[in-house]
Amino acid sequence: MRYEITVKVNGEDYEAYIPARRTLLDFLRDDLGLRGTKKGCDEGDCGSCVVLLDGTPVNSCMVLAVEVNGREVTTIEGLAKGDELHLVQRAFVEQGAIQCGYCTPGMVLAGKALLDVNPHPTTTEIKEAISGHLCRCTGYGAIVEAIQAAAESMDGGQRASGKTGRSD
Amino acid sequence: MAGFNIIGKGVPLIDAREKVTGKLEYGTDMVLPGMLHGKVLRSPLPHARVLSIDVSKALRLSGVRAIATAADAPTAPFTVPGQTLDDELLFARDKVRFIGDEVAAVAAADLDTAEEAISLIEVEYEPLPGVFDPEDALKEGAPLVHEEHGSNIANRQKFGRGDFDAALARADVVYEGRFVTSLVHQGYLEPHGVVASWDSSGRVTLYLPIQTPVMVRMSYARALGISEDRIRVIQYPLGGGFGGKQECKIHPICALLAKKTEKPVRMANTRRDEFIASLPRLPMIINMKIAGSSDGTLLGKSIRIIADNGAYTNYAPAIMYSALMRHDNLYRIPNLLAEGLLVYTNKIPTGPFRGFGNTQAHFAFESAIDMFAAKIGMDPAELRLKNARQKGDVTPHGWKLGSCGLSECIQEAMNDAGWKEKRGNAGTGRKRHGIGIACCLHVSGNRAVMPAFDGSSSYIRINQAGKALVFTSETDLGQGARTTFAQIAAERIGLRVEDVNVALVDTDTSPHGWGTWGDRATTLGGNAVLAAAEDARRQLVEIAAAKLEANPQDIVGENGRLYVAGAPNRSIMIAEAAKAFSYSKSGAILTGQGSYVPDDIVSVPDPVNKYGNVSVAYPFAAQVAEVEVDLDTGEVNILRLTAVHDLGRIINPKGARGQVIGAVAQGIGFAMTEEMKTENGKVLNASFKRYDVLRAPDMPEMSVGFVETVDPNGPYGAKGLGEPALNPTAPAIANAIYDAVGIRFHELPITPEKVLAALRRKGRRTQQPRHCRAPRGQPLHREIPPQQHPLQAGRPQPHRL
Repeated sequence: MRYEITVKVNGEDYEAYIPARRTLLDFLRDDLGLRGTKKGCDEGDCGSCVVLLDGTPVNSCMVLAVEVNGREVTTIEGLAKGDELHLVQRAFVEQGAIQCGYCTPGMVLAGKALLDVNPHPTTTEIKEAISGHLCRCTGYGAIVEAIQAAAESMDGGQRASGKTGRSD
Repeated sequence: MAGFNIIGKGVPLIDAREKVTGKLEYGTDMVLPGMLHGKVLRSPLPHARVLSIDVSKALRLSGVRAIATAADAPTAPFTVPGQTLDDELLFARDKVRFIGDEVAAVAAADLDTAEEAISLIEVEYEPLPGVFDPEDALKEGAPLVHEEHGSNIANRQKFGRGDFDAALARADVVYEGRFVTSLVHQGYLEPHGVVASWDSSGRVTLYLPIQTPVMVRMSYARALGISEDRIRVIQYPLGGGFGGKQECKIHPICALLAKKTEKPVRMANTRRDEFIASLPRLPMIINMKIAGSSDGTLLGKSIRIIADNGAYTNYAPAIMYSALMRHDNLYRIPNLLAEGLLVYTNKIPTGPFRGFGNTQAHFAFESAIDMFAAKIGMDPAELRLKNARQKGDVTPHGWKLGSCGLSECIQEAMNDAGWKEKRGNAGTGRKRHGIGIACCLHVSGNRAVMPAFDGSSSYIRINQAGKALVFTSETDLGQGARTTFAQIAAERIGLRVEDVNVALVDTDTSPHGWGTWGDRATTLGGNAVLAAAEDARRQLVEIAAAKLEANPQDIVGENGRLYVAGAPNRSIMIAEAAKAFSYSKSGAILTGQGSYVPDDIVSVPDPVNKYGNVSVAYPFAAQVAEVEVDLDTGEVNILRLTAVHDLGRIINPKGARGQVIGAVAQGIGFAMTEEMKTENGKVLNASFKRYDVLRAPDMPEMSVGFVETVDPNGPYGAKGLGEPALNPTAPAIANAIYDAVGIRFHELPITPEKVLAALRRKGRRTQQPRHCRAPRGQPLHREIPPQQHPLQAGRPQPHRL
């Protein structure tokens, strides 16, 4: 069984005629060629495939492509504006939060989604926000620090005092 | 770092931007036009005769292009380079030997069709009794995994130094213990993958996320029955490796399917494939005996290992060798005895995982050292300091320690963790507090498994725009080797890091090198890059000296510019010099070539007595774990972990710190949560849902410190760090638990169930466990910034004891 869907991905409209069983992950990677979204387990356990669905992080391997009909998806390819990295991306680069980089797209999107709803997260809140994501390289330390640094740099843009996010 | 522009700076990874934007194409992202999709049929039985394989139904399925079985594959068995036990075939021929054994493979127009075709292949099996425990496998009458071997012993090693029996006779105190390590998976996030494509001249190109492009070409050539030259390996970025990406049977199988279909074929493991049919860590049963005097002098040590090879032999003989003796070089122990049996079982074959046997042995050894200290009533940290190896030592195995910061690591870890105040202070409540220490040493630039040559080679091309491209065969698996090489090249030539790129390995164009294992990348690869950079620099300086009318020895390079020392305005851009070179030679590109040949420092160990200096350098470390044990639930909470590492010289502090914390996370998993549980050969938890890799909230507070010993053989004095950082973590935690509750845990992982059962045996509590989960760390994350570290600058500090 195939279905017609219309979906906005990274601000662009796509129409597709796809099998009912196609996951959002395979749709993004194989049909749209957006292979920045990674396949780590295909079972919802590792977070490598996280994308934002209407702004909320989801494991795209656990969502069927037909379910996103009429909705909006943001993948890692849609985060930077041209050459200008998103603040979370920049913080990941600067804080050394990247090793092999396979978890990075999902982690960055999780960080962005967190800061969108909670601009001043505690380290506990950051760890909870990325607890669905596995990273086998970094031990998470630099990733948590990067998200914290991104929050602080967003803060810096808004507040002159330099007062930054809460600690625990 | 004084005197350096780029070495010692925490520059971002050179590929960080590609990674953070999702633009980096990994091995499993690779596509070729018109490619087919392959899938493997794996054995559902642990041990059975294959009576027949009927592929006719599968072949009739629309979209199926080819099916391969043992009938299509060479009949000569093969193994990995440097090993001698040829027991692998591309497909099981007459027998399957583990659940997951490759029986057939399908190439189809799409993956769905390939999967359906797999389900249509009819295989008739005659089940055979299996053997699943290595000690059972040694018993008389046990089922034989490979009948042709006549027993289940795949490899046997026995060697010694001094006279262990005499040491035993002289000893005041002897500790003996049996330790068991579990089957754990590397858990790299990107599963194995491959795209294979043949050209019209009869050569196959394999696009691989692989640690060892040159070495796999050797084994895959044997597997496919073709010459090495007919295989070109193009390395793709790896989504993690940790030793697990040195070999994968789907790579040559994919080549076979591509040959049969005359089309490019792509294959990738599912996560389940990874857990049932990759090469997880070699599990070991280790008997460890320590003999010494009551004053803490260590006289002798013996080790007996029974290692569970699984159904086929990968690098396990070399892994067992490393487990039998590497730790002997940590302390001054003169009399040593080692015996190892590598045993076949009807289980998943095993292979390298960060630490390469040293991790398993360190758990046993460093636990045993602690118990010896307890027996003589000595502080276990003092015992280690008393016996610690020192710079300049030649160990009983012939290892030459050109640098050694072990004592400094122990001291610093003790100070940072507050050892003296916290040790032996368990408290009295429901939660008992404990602190434990463990040390390690490792190799850096090991070559004991590759007899052909030592060292490494590199070349560097500098184009007319002054941009350098470094070629090496030591790979980046995500640890940042490309960035390390870029820093070394930029420092030596006088370029900016952003002007240096490092090519991924292509066996057609890269130097011939063994790839990344044995902590080779920084020491061997780094030295090769340094030599190539020196050669490029020499050529640039000649041009600059002529243009600037100065002596070549007065030319200094910095920031993309060459200038006369003391007269910075007399300068020329490197781009200008490289362009002048090129234009004077009809468009040739300035190329520096360098080889690092370790000059009688390294030798393959003697095949019988295993004596020899196997590595150019040896990194050391000490880690201290602080735990809280809940007497009611058996839960162990790791409060804090201090890791102090002697890494020679820091090339990149951010990278170094990331290596340590990441390795500790794997070490905590090894100690507390990770285990591939098997029953009659079947992996019961073949998913990340049921195989507990640490997650962000599980990490303890970390304190990371470095001791810079500046090794005489390392590039700028640097030694490897990636592997050793994992080795001391599990024994440090086990020793801390001992300090808290007085119970020695001999088996990994140390789960709440095991802790509670042991507490009950000890008669402290009788309650049921309330919940069993991974240890939870404290949320606060902290470390000592390397630049503030008291031992950062210059030579290690002397003992303060």
